[in-house]
Amino acid sequence: MRRIIIDYKKCDGCINCTIACMQAHREDEGTIYDLDLTDPANESRNKSVRAEDGTYRPLFCRHCKEPECVMTCMSGALRKDAENGLVTYDETRCAACFMCVMHCPYGTIKPANSLQKIIKCDFCAADGYEPNCVKACPKKAIHVEEVEA
Amino acid sequence: MRHVIIGSSAAGIAAAAEIRKHQKDAVIVMISKDEHVHSRCMLHKYISHERDVKGLDFTEENFFENQKVDYIQNEVISVLEDEKCVLLRSGEQIPYDKLLIASGAGSFIPPIGDLRTADNVFGMRNLSDAQAIDKMADSAQNVLVIGAGLAGMDAAYAMLERGKKVTVLEMSHRILPVQLDAHSAEVYQRKFESKGTIFYLGRRLEKTISGTGGQICRVVLDTGENIDCDVIIVAAGVRPTIDFLDKSKVEAGRGILVDACLQTNIRDIYAAGDVTGLSGIWPNAVKQGTVAARNMCGIAEKYTDTFNEKNMMNFFGIVTLYLGQICTRKDEVVLTEEDRNVYRRVSIREGKVTGVLLQGDISNAGVWQYLIKNEIDISHIKKNIFQISYADFFSVKADGEYRWKCEGQNFKF
Amino acid sequence: MREYYGCRTCKSADKQLEEYIRALPMETSHHRVDSQDTKCGFGLQGVCCRLCSNGPCRITPEAPKGICGADADTIVTRNFLRAVAAGSGCYIHVVENTAKNVRDIARSKGEIKGVDALNRLAEMLDITEEDMYLRAEKVAQAVLDDLHRPEYETMKLLRKMSYGPRYETWKRLGILPGGAKAEVFKGVVKTSTNLNSDPMDMLKDCLKLGISTGIYGLVLTNLLNDIVLGEPKLRVAPVGLRVIDPSYINIMITGHQHSMFTYLQKRLIEPDIVEKAKKAGAKGFKLVGCTCVGQDLQLRGAHYEEIFAGHAGNNYTSEAVLATGAIDAVISEFNCTLPGIEPICDKLQIKQICVDSVAKKANAELKEFDFENRERVTEEIIDSIVETYMKRRGGRLNLLMDHGNDDTLTGVSEGSLKEFLGGDWKALIRLIISGKIKGVAGIVGCSNLTAGGHDVLTVELTKELISRDILVLSAGCSSGGLENCGLMTKEAAKYAGPGLREVCEQLGIPPVLNFGPCLAIGRLELVAIELAEALGIDLPQLPLVLSAAQWLEEQAIADGCYGLALGLPLHLGLPPFVTGSPKAAKTLTQDMKHLTGGHVIINDDAKESAEILEKIIQEKRSGLQI
Repeated sequence: MRRIIIDYKKCDGCINCTIACMQAHREDEGTIYDLDLTDPANESRNKSVRAEDGTYRPLFCRHCKEPECVMTCMSGALRKDAENGLVTYDETRCAACFMCVMHCPYGTIKPANSLQKIIKCDFCAADGYEPNCVKACPKKAIHVEEVEA
Repeated sequence: MRHVIIGSSAAGIAAAAEIRKHQKDAVIVMISKDEHVHSRCMLHKYISHERDVKGLDFTEENFFENQKVDYIQNEVISVLEDEKCVLLRSGEQIPYDKLLIASGAGSFIPPIGDLRTADNVFGMRNLSDAQAIDKMADSAQNVLVIGAGLAGMDAAYAMLERGKKVTVLEMSHRILPVQLDAHSAEVYQRKFESKGTIFYLGRRLEKTISGTGGQICRVVLDTGENIDCDVIIVAAGVRPTIDFLDKSKVEAGRGILVDACLQTNIRDIYAAGDVTGLSGIWPNAVKQGTVAARNMCGIAEKYTDTFNEKNMMNFFGIVTLYLGQICTRKDEVVLTEEDRNVYRRVSIREGKVTGVLLQGDISNAGVWQYLIKNEIDISHIKKNIFQISYADFFSVKADGEYRWKCEGQNFKF
Repeated sequence: MREYYGCRTCKSADKQLEEYIRALPMETSHHRVDSQDTKCGFGLQGVCCRLCSNGPCRITPEAPKGICGADADTIVTRNFLRAVAAGSGCYIHVVENTAKNVRDIARSKGEIKGVDALNRLAEMLDITEEDMYLRAEKVAQAVLDDLHRPEYETMKLLRKMSYGPRYETWKRLGILPGGAKAEVFKGVVKTSTNLNSDPMDMLKDCLKLGISTGIYGLVLTNLLNDIVLGEPKLRVAPVGLRVIDPSYINIMITGHQHSMFTYLQKRLIEPDIVEKAKKAGAKGFKLVGCTCVGQDLQLRGAHYEEIFAGHAGNNYTSEAVLATGAIDAVISEFNCTLPGIEPICDKLQIKQICVDSVAKKANAELKEFDFENRERVTEEIIDSIVETYMKRRGGRLNLLMDHGNDDTLTGVSEGSLKEFLGGDWKALIRLIISGKIKGVAGIVGCSNLTAGGHDVLTVELTKELISRDILVLSAGCSSGGLENCGLMTKEAAKYAGPGLREVCEQLGIPPVLNFGPCLAIGRLELVAIELAEALGIDLPQLPLVLSAAQWLEEQAIADGCYGLALGLPLHLGLPPFVTGSPKAAKTLTQDMKHLTGGHVIINDDAKESAEILEKIIQEKRSGLQI
């Protein structure tokens, strides 16, 4: 499967990945220039957290081999795709129980601000599975690599 | 190899999928009373009309066809371990090489008055319960919910959504007594009250008064108070469904007894999910089903992720979760932080987190679960405890997956 | 393996230049576009605040305010006003030096090349003085006095230099600027930590700065330069890398302050100095035009045929000019002198000299322009260049002799154009009324590398506009791209629509007229005022649009504010960093129409932009019932 590989030492905390994720998943049409940065509906699936020593730790969904989130999902919304190894999320099935939020050991899933669904990485499926965060990283702290599923 | 699975809920379905992963050609038979596979955690959404029967199905599209699982809708009345087969209500005998009992649990209806016999009293455990409640709700106005645990509050919520007058009776002095502390429970109680719910807390049901047609129309409490009701939903706990094992040698206490590999005292018979009484929550049932399945396929694996003190709720736009101990001990330090939208509470003993309650903002909760169940020492982290995140334990494996980095600690998982 | 530094260079409108740069063995800005492809979204929207130690603060849904409480509107307008103040400061620096140079030349009774220009300006400013030198000195001093006025005193020449109806609008809106330097100062103060937080108040200051920038930084710089450097005259001239003749000692000039070269350009053709060049093995000296100061020299080229080789290219052509290997020195006094030319100069042993410390390059020798000691300093500069020439020549040259063209029409100004048209604007007005020319577009500003590539949007938009019978006047680095792409030769009439083509062919002029440096945006305004005056209307009624399609820098933003103050529609290819503020974005793109009459249009597609601008011109024509 393909995974976003993280080299946290390269991360400068510009959170361009964050804004790229928001842009990639916005519901209305538009460019990065008119992305509403104050609309709670524009949420990012990733974040970079500043560590005690001032360096950054990019927190991105790993699409785990044995995903805790999938195991906890009682609506069938989250699945581990047998073909591409990604943990997919079907918003229409989600019951917004947020058990997945409680079970991701890395804190990479969060309830949507609307509390109607979750916010989780979809590997930018709509853009041909080429994650926009990766494209947006000026430091190349994240890149996509083929790994064993 | 011929695998038979009793039950089609979280543990049973997970087991079937896991077996198929390892054994492409094995025969898998699933026996269940249910007409439709459904998620028990979403029944209230059926009653509130947020979901239909199809919407309760948690399996992937064409699960039984794709995974080649034979589904028999019937009831197992006996396990004949010597003949290695199960006996169905229909009289049919289904042979197995390996058997998984994942029959779950049923609602416990207390033996008070006519509760067990009246036909307007329901548990909230099966789709059939929800369908009956839904039907009753078309005409009923006054709904009595017995038990203010999570299932009871789900039922109350659903009935409010249907526009019913809801009364909740609870023995404890506060709602959600197992899940929440008094402070966070009050937040919900106020919300429910503002929507018209009446709570009778710290009271017991003393007797029932039935009207014509075998329906309870009024209950009397230990205080002498009366509550009129058209329909009663009992959410006073569950009991493992093991009555069909009465004549079998499979050992059971409150639930079926299993070893670390989830095998019962009888070789080739396994049990997983609520029927074991190990926990009553979905993710644990899935894990148990998965682990049992692996053992049934000859892959020795122990069920270790036994942590079950966790749950989550989402009512009226307020989410809350708890993990670990809510009742604090004397040797624990409790830290809280609270604002307009958020209440957080953490208890710590000897540098380790023992319990967490998050209300209003549950982001990052998985990290807390990991800290609690692995008893990770956080005393070296000097920042505000509520800002702890996985970033403090960040480490990446060669294949890009994360792992928890903690000096000198061995993790169970 | 090829010796290309990298194969991922950005596009250029000028394909020959694009290929040339791609094949270069050294890194240029064109190579770096790719590696800087990822833009910070917060920066793009202008919502990153670095005004205090709590920052940088950025606006997100979880953090809609900075720590201090500033919201997106405040952060954006603060950043914007800072940029406008900086841009204004740049142009005010230029006009201040220019006025000082005119004053010093007048005091020393130096050469007054443009006596008519002096007289016209003196008349405009109501300065009556018999003695020509004293007259020039008083004119220059009047400008300096205004620049140095405090912020609370409205500048005195403003009324005389403004178009009446505009002045009244500005007065009504309360945006008449005080002393130009003090306005910059105030803008800097206002936008500092925990001071102004009122978006509208700050946007008003942007307009004030726009007016002082436009009238002083642009218009007056031109008119003052006309006095000592000579007035523009129409002529056909060579442009592009072909102008570089390796048999001369070539000095590339960059910047905006032509008056600083007055003495040097005179001295370089005097026999004793030419002799120095000959001794070193060259035929003499040539100044190779680059960026705006090169454009200004080209504009006045009729007076400098011997020393001026021609205009080689604009800001992002400067690296290519150096890469030819035939440039021996760079003398810079202002922007755009890219930091990226430094390693190229090092590699090719090109001498870098700065004559104004504001543009001191890291590896350049600073020889501050000093009027008193100009003779000595000039000799030192010339000697060091000759020395460099002798040391560096002999290496491989990488010329591009067929680049550009020999017949670009240059020297267009408010004066030379009017003279060409018969001494008044009646002919042009008739053509506009008849619809042969639908309207006029000022394509101004810079080139950047991100709006499609180097000069790409500028050239494409210009082609679209002239095909719609819209006459294009250009000033700034945009001119550099347009001339090298051949749009300022009379053959370019073939790209024009039928009406404009007929006019061009009849008059033997190109459909795109070259007013020279960005400073000459001030000249475009003078043309606009004279047209409006002749028609008896205000500027916003004219079928006139502006486009800084490839604006680059803070100066361009200040210019843009002038355009808005003038009440003109202003097209930009890329938005300034304001889109994070709904208030700023709406004010600039919509509400401004009700204030000054102007507004900003953002569009990076040439065809769409041309359609929008054409529609505006049509609306203005309908408004005038033509």
